Amino acid sequence: MQATSPVRAFRWALFAAEALAAALSPSTYTAPVLALAARQLCAAAWDVLPGFVAACAVLGLLLIRIIDSTARDFGLAAHSLDLYVRLLVLELLPMLVALFVAVRSGAALGTEVALLRVSGALDRGNEALRAELLPRGIGVAAAVVALTVIGCALALAVAYFGLYGFSPWGHDAYARAVGNAFAPVVMAGFALKVAFFAVAVAVVPVAAAVGGPREMRSVPDAAPRGLVGVFLFLALAEGASIGLQYA
Amino acid sequence: MPEPLVDPASPHDAAARAGPRAIAVLVGTAVIVATFVAYVLYARGAFERTQSLVLMADDGAGVTVGMDLTFSGFPVGRVQKIELAADGKARIEIDVPERDAKWLRASSVFTLERSLVGGARLRAFTGDLGDKPLPHGAVRQVLRGDATEELPGLIASAKRLLENLEHMTAQDSSLNASFESVRKLTERMGGAGGALAGILGSEENARKVITALDRANATLASLEKVSARLDGMLGKADESVFGPGGVMEETRKTVAQLNGALAEARESLKKADAILADAQKISASARDATTDLGSLRAEVEVTLRRVTTLIDEINRKWPFAREREVKLP
Repeated sequence: MQATSPVRAFRWALFAAEALAAALSPSTYTAPVLALAARQLCAAAWDVLPGFVAACAVLGLLLIRIIDSTARDFGLAAHSLDLYVRLLVLELLPMLVALFVAVRSGAALGTEVALLRVSGALDRGNEALRAELLPRGIGVAAAVVALTVIGCALALAVAYFGLYGFSPWGHDAYARAVGNAFAPVVMAGFALKVAFFAVAVAVVPVAAAVGGPREMRSVPDAAPRGLVGVFLFLALAEGASIGLQYA
Repeated sequence: MPEPLVDPASPHDAAARAGPRAIAVLVGTAVIVATFVAYVLYARGAFERTQSLVLMADDGAGVTVGMDLTFSGFPVGRVQKIELAADGKARIEIDVPERDAKWLRASSVFTLERSLVGGARLRAFTGDLGDKPLPHGAVRQVLRGDATEELPGLIASAKRLLENLEHMTAQDSSLNASFESVRKLTERMGGAGGALAGILGSEENARKVITALDRANATLASLEKVSARLDGMLGKADESVFGPGGVMEETRKTVAQLNGALAEARESLKKADAILADAQKISASARDATTDLGSLRAEVEVTLRRVTTLIDEINRKWPFAREREVKLP
């Protein structure tokens, strides 16, 4: 019998708390765990880096051109960078990165965890969790953070060249706009949001797979179930973030 | 021991490659984060020395922390804090970097403007850049320039203006009547009589004026002729009066003759005086003396008559003698 959504969410949260506690414990980081986490990080971030960078650059360039030309039409050109930062860097990119990693790595992770559960590999208790699931979750979470940081930095750089070209004379206005946009509270909120996204992408697919039925026929459902959970958590986190910032 | 889950075919190669790559990703991320935090701190002015400026506004709506204070369109300061002061006014604390503080002087004026589109703007105006510098922690009143607050008044004025315009452009308005009059005037001016007909009202009047002008021209021409003739006459009169053998010369001669006659008369009167003295002395022989008196009287009368004749002649010859006679028309 399937648990209801709130109960399932509570179980996921409990699982996430346990995983987070384990991830923050230094004793967790043994050589095999580090190696596995490194391989997961490479699979989730390093392998996709060229495509990801290109996609971010194109998206940033398109958006800054659209925003700047629209802002100029309304006589608000001075606010175009502010709008770009708030829209792409602070809101869209973290969300897109989290979704990207969730779809690419989280779904695969959920499916593999479901297979492990069906095969009984996870029946050995906490040791199995630490040995297999935790390193992969850490790798996925680190990939979310790394890709978000790289994507946002690239988007900011692209914005400068989109607005001012290769002229150095726009730097004062650019620095002022960036400084205004990234107030300490905004930066703290941004860091918190990215951390939450990383944990959600790393934990929810695994928790959904662990909490599912132990039948081979239910294994294909594990990935979609985990992704729906990830989308739900990301949407909630994004809504809460926007509500706190702009309400 | 659990089975390896990722890439079981070549665990050693994969692990060997993954380690440095993961470290590169993590180190790169950490470097980007550290650089970005430092850049944001720099962009927010954390590493530059600033001086404080406090602006007091009646209404702080639209002012946000981090917004710029601009001078000639360039940001020279940043709002750090907004609070409600004890007197109920908005107290806006602004940090001005010391390198930009030179644009703000003691006589600078600060305005808070709210436009219809876009946020509020804090602007500084400095009329005299040679004035003494704005002191640290200076408190200044903000002048308000609120476009939205003036909007109702503006709309009311515009409405009145439009009503007036409507009155002015109505069919029976005085402006239309004026334009109609101007149109008639220009039509008349464009007619045969030209501008004169336009001014005088009809072509007939214009024709009269033209005729009058022609006559005046003719009169002036004849007057010129008269003037020329008068000039000739005056020349001749001048010649007849002052020229050789003229009136003046004749008069001079007559006056000389008159002087002679007067001398003779004086002599005669002396003789008469002597005779009268004798007559007084010799009253007895009056009868004898009567004969002498008769001849003397005749002599005096002759002399006086000659004098009278001479005077008459002078009067006749003298052209500028005063006319004593009153001629009746």
